Amino acid sequence: MPETVRVHYQEELDTLEASALGGLDLVNIAIGRTMEAVEHQDVELAQVVIADDDRIDGRYLEVHQSLITLLATQSPVATDLRLISALLHCLKSIERMGDQCVNVCKLIPLSGTEAPADPEMVQLILNMGEHTRPLIMQAKRAFEERDVEMARDLVRRDDAVDNLNRECFHLALALGDDPDRREWAMTMLLAARAIERVADNAVDIGEQVAFVVTGLFREFEDASHPS
Amino acid sequence: MLTEQAPKIEVRPEFQSSAPEAAREKVFELRDIEVLYSGVSAVKGISMEIGRNEVTAMIGPSGCGKSTLLRCLNRMNDLIPTAEVKGELLYHGEDLYGSGVDPVQVRKLIGMVFQKPNPFPKSIYDNVAFGPRILGRKEGLDEVVEKALRGAALWHEVKDRLKDNAFGLSGGQQQRLCIARCIAVKPDVILMDEPCSALDPISTGKIEDLMIELKNQFSIVIVTHNMQQAARVSDRTAFLMTELDATEHTRWGRLVEYDVTQQIFTNPSDKRTEDYVSGKVG
Repeated sequence: MPETVRVHYQEELDTLEASALGGLDLVNIAIGRTMEAVEHQDVELAQVVIADDDRIDGRYLEVHQSLITLLATQSPVATDLRLISALLHCLKSIERMGDQCVNVCKLIPLSGTEAPADPEMVQLILNMGEHTRPLIMQAKRAFEERDVEMARDLVRRDDAVDNLNRECFHLALALGDDPDRREWAMTMLLAARAIERVADNAVDIGEQVAFVVTGLFREFEDASHPS
Repeated sequence: MLTEQAPKIEVRPEFQSSAPEAAREKVFELRDIEVLYSGVSAVKGISMEIGRNEVTAMIGPSGCGKSTLLRCLNRMNDLIPTAEVKGELLYHGEDLYGSGVDPVQVRKLIGMVFQKPNPFPKSIYDNVAFGPRILGRKEGLDEVVEKALRGAALWHEVKDRLKDNAFGLSGGQQQRLCIARCIAVKPDVILMDEPCSALDPISTGKIEDLMIELKNQFSIVIVTHNMQQAARVSDRTAFLMTELDATEHTRWGRLVEYDVTQQIFTNPSDKRTEDYVSGKVG
């Protein structure tokens, strides 16, 4: 039997993968808190999310640097090379997800302490959050298990988030002409858009799963050429 | 969803990994080649095609038969009395082992560069002029020597000391001298058996650059233990490994995978290739 070698390298790569994907757990926490802050117009909680984004950014920088070092020192090829390439992509997506949570949280003070909130629209955004959180965890599991079908299923789940985002838009249009109410609705649309992007980033991670497994990169859905 | 059709992106020629299959001219066609020493198989079941003006790399663990296979390609194994080659080996469509084929003529057309630089104990000039002289050339030797030394990217380093002994050159220069000596007789194919294993990284880089230059004129087959070298210089890579019989007493080399180099190093189709190029099996 051939002897297995480069054990330390493999362990390091495994650790870096776990660390990179662990960023999705941080995003999951961030989005949960973001939704809570939106629901209760909780400015303090929003500040916690903004401050905690440093942890996601720090994870990004740390793992990114370690992956570059592995590339430089270990000359990875084949599956390892695809994995490292995919992890670099995923790290960027995860960092963006964290930033989108920050974007939403920065909007909360703008919507005012006694904002003319429309409960239906707030509920739509909370629903988007409810749909997005399992999407993030599914992207993580699909990556860990190298499960292309599970990754592909993210598109179906993302469609639900997209639909809610569109509902938000239609609702904003129907909220009437009162300037304060319109301003609040516009602000909430930005928040909805940010959550929708988080879900898109989860799909991007799913596409990287397919790349690691098959060696072919294809967008699950091509925005410029929708099927 | 994963689109069934590949996206319509035109890949610029310089980014294409190799010429289209249909346009590929073959230098060698190996069909079920087996090499035996004293009746014992060293390699067997080797079928592959080697393209013209390509660098073809052979990689694999020690003892898998890479060098044996390489030596088949210019009948170097004929020099070993107990060696026997079975199967069909076509060179430009003709049987290389046919009864009417002159092995000396074969080795003129298919030159070889060895692991350790092996200049003759002569001057730099005489090393390069050796082959043409043997072939009866008397006129214009200076031009032949200069052209060969330029072709081997050595001219500027030695032009002022052509009469010096070749042993005074560095290892990397000696190896390039051997390449110059090889190309001085205008071969069609250059076989290289671990040509950089005794060289430092700078000399290795020079030889690798040279291979990429030389493939415009010659076809090159290289055996290397350095996988990154195969990845850097070759168009196609063949991975061989040792196979054991049921008793685990008899072993021979077998071609596991042969594909475009980019494919071998990014997405090989065989798990054994993956493990080897990743350096995860010893």
